[in-house]
Amino acid sequence: MATKISHIIAYIILILLAIIILIPLAWMLITGFKTNQEMFLSPFALPQEWHYENYINAWNQGIGTYLKNSVIITVLATALSTFVSCLAAYPLARLNFRSKKIWVYLVLGGLMLAPQSSVISLFRMVKMAGLYDTQTALVLIDAAFRIPFATFLIMTFYRSISYSLDESAYIDGASTWQIFTGIIVPLSKPIIASCAIVSFRAVWNELMFANIMLQTTSKKTVPIGLMNFQGMTTTNWTLVVASMVIASLPLVIAFLLLQKQFVRGLTAGSVKG
Amino acid sequence: MSEVTIKDIKKVYDNKYTAVHDFCLDIRDKEFIVLVGPSGCGKSTTLRMVAGLEDISEGELYIDGKLVNEVAAKDRDIAMVFQNYALYPHMTVFDNMAYPLKIKKTPKAEIDRKVREVADILDITQYLKRKPAALSGGQRQRVAIGRAMVRDPKVFLMDEPLSNLDAKLRNQMRAEIIKLRQRINTTFMYVTHDQTEAMTLGDRIVIMKDGYVNQIGTPQELFNQPVNLFVAGFIGMPVMNFFEDCKLVLRDGKYIADIRGTEYVLSDFQQKALRENGQEPCDIICGVRPQHITLAESGLHGVVEVSEMLGSEVNLHVNCEGDDIIVVLPTVGLSQDVSMGARLTFTTTPDLIQLFDKETKNNLIWYDAESVENHSPRCKSYAF
Repeated sequence: MATKISHIIAYIILILLAIIILIPLAWMLITGFKTNQEMFLSPFALPQEWHYENYINAWNQGIGTYLKNSVIITVLATALSTFVSCLAAYPLARLNFRSKKIWVYLVLGGLMLAPQSSVISLFRMVKMAGLYDTQTALVLIDAAFRIPFATFLIMTFYRSISYSLDESAYIDGASTWQIFTGIIVPLSKPIIASCAIVSFRAVWNELMFANIMLQTTSKKTVPIGLMNFQGMTTTNWTLVVASMVIASLPLVIAFLLLQKQFVRGLTAGSVKG
Repeated sequence: MSEVTIKDIKKVYDNKYTAVHDFCLDIRDKEFIVLVGPSGCGKSTTLRMVAGLEDISEGELYIDGKLVNEVAAKDRDIAMVFQNYALYPHMTVFDNMAYPLKIKKTPKAEIDRKVREVADILDITQYLKRKPAALSGGQRQRVAIGRAMVRDPKVFLMDEPLSNLDAKLRNQMRAEIIKLRQRINTTFMYVTHDQTEAMTLGDRIVIMKDGYVNQIGTPQELFNQPVNLFVAGFIGMPVMNFFEDCKLVLRDGKYIADIRGTEYVLSDFQQKALRENGQEPCDIICGVRPQHITLAESGLHGVVEVSEMLGSEVNLHVNCEGDDIIVVLPTVGLSQDVSMGARLTFTTTPDLIQLFDKETKNNLIWYDAESVENHSPRCKSYAF
């Protein structure tokens, strides 16, 4: 009986939470179909007429380009950071070497570094490397800032995998690389997916470095684009809202695709087995 | 042909802890060797050194006459079965078994043939498409054995392969390992802490304690001729009874064991051995196996404290002047009252009494430096 009541309470809390999160999203989606006037007069009502053209206009006014840029930068930065983290975490978690502790501390140090504190030095480095106003610079910087967290997460997961698997594969004749690619990585898919999605979200929404390192409008990303859009179309709010909906779509799609792995990754380690 | 020669092997860890002291053993072709001992005795470390998973700090290891100290595990042509099976969870049973062959780049048709052949022997063909998570403990263990078998290794290493199974399954798997051994006929090195497994599986058993080898011998030798108190207590179920504070007396040229005032004139071979050793009368500990005690008119006296009826026999815990003595009696023909509180008089045959020096804890009959030398040449590291 007690468990039943606690279940009901848990469900009520979860439903409330879901409502709190979903209402703004639903509002955004619906408002995208309204006129500007409608939005201010009856903000919570359904549109009297569904104005699909808001979305078409938003796309035509350049959100498409921003979206493309964001997709390129986010996919590349996520892939790079996840790949490097998978590799870096392996020796830190499963091999024994002298300077291991130093490397672990370095990774932890990276976790604590606030991006703001490195803006000036990074800007100078990017300039010196001739990468200013290139998407490459943003890919490298975004990937670098995602690596410590991802490495830390993956390292913790690697450690939970039984060492006898490595030993068994080693006796079976596998090299360290074969053990890594054939045993450890396939077993770590959930955590790798979780890291990828967390990185994807962070890079997608990254504003500061994108604002500083990119100058040409055609190279800018969605967050910058939305910011500019707001300035350009102060009178047409529904257009801004429609752009936001378009901008958030890739994230929603990415999450839906990796959802199963993501949830498994977050709960991995809680049950040993 | 697959002989393993272990010469004075030592394992010292970075923190200077010595896990294995001067281990010596010659394993003959197709022999089944069992390393047995309590937790932390160094048996698994020894096996891991043979496997190549641990560096050998000192000493030499030969497989088929070839020094392999510096040879990587994968090149030693050995296979190992782990306690937790170490199956790759993301692969099917087939892929698990095929893994070592795939690594060796064996042709696909050959892999398929071998895996199916071994699966057939182990009766796991119907599970080939399943993942390990969908198998029971016993089936997983069979897959692990199968993965080792497909490689046709020179030496088969097993590290407590049955200890994760429940008692019934363990008995069943033990029998299967015996059958398997007859079938594949190769050299085995098997680690366990269970003396029953050691006794039933091993051609020869190595008993270890605190990193030292205590005795190497056939199950019968270890049972009947334990070299010291530890081996005597470790082998045999229920454990051997030890009567503390006994005396070895020499009277009229005859050695006599005095247990709680009851004197046993020792048998001829015991007399001979003691005489040859020039044994002086001394304080001793007498060991008698529970199965070697019989009820009698005269002898030692005690009160039954616990009576465990097992059907064909009854285990009695008898308080004999402060010592807890276990007596195993067959129930067939048992007329005397052996319930709790019953007073018993019991005795044993002198030639079945084991005599241990009170100081050194060595067996006065079976322990001698020469026999130690014979067990494993150059090994003098029997610690008690």
